[in-house]
Amino acid sequence: MADGTGAAAAVTLKREQPPWRADFARVLPYAVASLTLFLGWQIAAWIFPAYLIPAPGQVLARLGKELTRDAFLTTIARSFGRLAVGFALACFLGLAIGLLSGVWSFFRRWARALVSILQSVPPIAWVPLFIILLGFGDYPIVLVIVVAAFFPMAVSVMNGVEQVEGLHIDVARLLGASRAQLITKVYAPEVVPAIITGAQVGFGNAWRSLIAAEMVGGVNVGLGWFITFSGEVADMVGVMAGIFVIGSLSALLDGYALERLKRRLLKWKYV
Amino acid sequence: MNRGAKIVIENLSQFFGSLCVIEHLSLTVREGEFLAIVGPSGCGKSSLLRILSGLAKPAAGRVLIDQQEVNGPSPRHNLVFQDHALYPWRTVFENVALGLEIQKRPAAEIQEKVSALLSLVGLDRFRNYYPHQLSGGMRQRAALARVLAVDPDVLFLDEPFGALDAMTRLVLQEELLGLWMASRKTVVLVTHDVEEALFLADRVIVMSALPGRIRETIPVTERRPRDRGSAHLAQLKRTVLGILGLEAVVGNARVPDVNFAI
Repeated sequence: MADGTGAAAAVTLKREQPPWRADFARVLPYAVASLTLFLGWQIAAWIFPAYLIPAPGQVLARLGKELTRDAFLTTIARSFGRLAVGFALACFLGLAIGLLSGVWSFFRRWARALVSILQSVPPIAWVPLFIILLGFGDYPIVLVIVVAAFFPMAVSVMNGVEQVEGLHIDVARLLGASRAQLITKVYAPEVVPAIITGAQVGFGNAWRSLIAAEMVGGVNVGLGWFITFSGEVADMVGVMAGIFVIGSLSALLDGYALERLKRRLLKWKYV
Repeated sequence: MNRGAKIVIENLSQFFGSLCVIEHLSLTVREGEFLAIVGPSGCGKSSLLRILSGLAKPAAGRVLIDQQEVNGPSPRHNLVFQDHALYPWRTVFENVALGLEIQKRPAAEIQEKVSALLSLVGLDRFRNYYPHQLSGGMRQRAALARVLAVDPDVLFLDEPFGALDAMTRLVLQEELLGLWMASRKTVVLVTHDVEEALFLADRVIVMSALPGRIRETIPVTERRPRDRGSAHLAQLKRTVLGILGLEAVVGNARVPDVNFAI
């Protein structure tokens, strides 16, 4: 009963391309952008005295030395730990609230109103309150990260849920899906692209808030603290080394790790 | 209630806002019957199928399937849409497996049933393809297989071949007929294509638009497989088109009411 007519049309032609070329194409913009920044930095370093703007070479040499010191590695590790916990919590909460608002319309209106009120408050503004509530240490910083990354995630998932195709829901209902199954079989996979967008935007917010909170949050370890401390002792090489680490780590996480995750989760789009 | 009645539609009405799309529609579909509904756009055909399948509630009247009132969707009476509505993130196999997954059947059973269905609809080789890699006809086959996987007694088809090219449509009509003759499920097919209706159905219901009402019921007694070019079918086609054409004339007759006075 199969006819051959559709078969030929369905065989999609894949362009054969060595894998390194695809990688190269993805890395090239980053390389060019980095070069631009380095060039600008070097020019500024030629113009200004070294105690104001240290040259890239000087900073890289310092960085090489710092990376062998346990104290600096601990600084990076602690920042990372805060980011990981805060970002994971924010993603989970944003996802839960976004998905819930998809199946419960009153909840959706309530959540949208809440988000639009709270979203305008810069996450860093909560620091004093959180410190009073939770004391100095990791907790207030983690909470600031949660606040920073939660809103983009929740809003993006809510929008994604609203764009779920009615027909896809009808199909599942006709096959007897329960509410829980509608969430797992239709809403969740259908909002995956929105989740990834939310995660990417949220990650940028989380990262910025992490550094900011560490700078003003009264901790004595972390990348933000490292920069503030270096500034206070007029160690511009240290400041620039800290900024360099922040920039390159976030580019690596966002541009590489999240991008790979996206391609993996949306693999059906890239076939 | 007459014997062998599978679906009983009693005095059904439906509105979109103040617009009456179905008015006092009553109809009985026999067990194992292949019924086709044709009519102009806006005659409430799709609304009717949404009500029959339990996706929508009627404004008035009721629908009984096996003497039980339809209150919501159920895998026992299922609907195939014009737009295949396959999930783009699932492979063909996974799409067809959806209903069985929802019913939490064991993996081995899913594997076996879905494989059998895929070979039935000729998609064996494409089980690991995503919908966007398939042709329109193959997608519609997959959509049909997805519904057949839960083994419904009643199949509602909402212009299932409407978006396909003429050649593929003919092939799929034959395939659908083969499936129906093998399973003798009760089928209600909504279509724009009069020839399709006459080729497949035991009875063709011709509807009028706004409000949707049954205009005429035309039994097709010719034995299957039918010859698409037979004189009898050609005669019936003229009759149906006549009924539908009359509608257009009545529609046109209203036009002069609008006066463009200068």
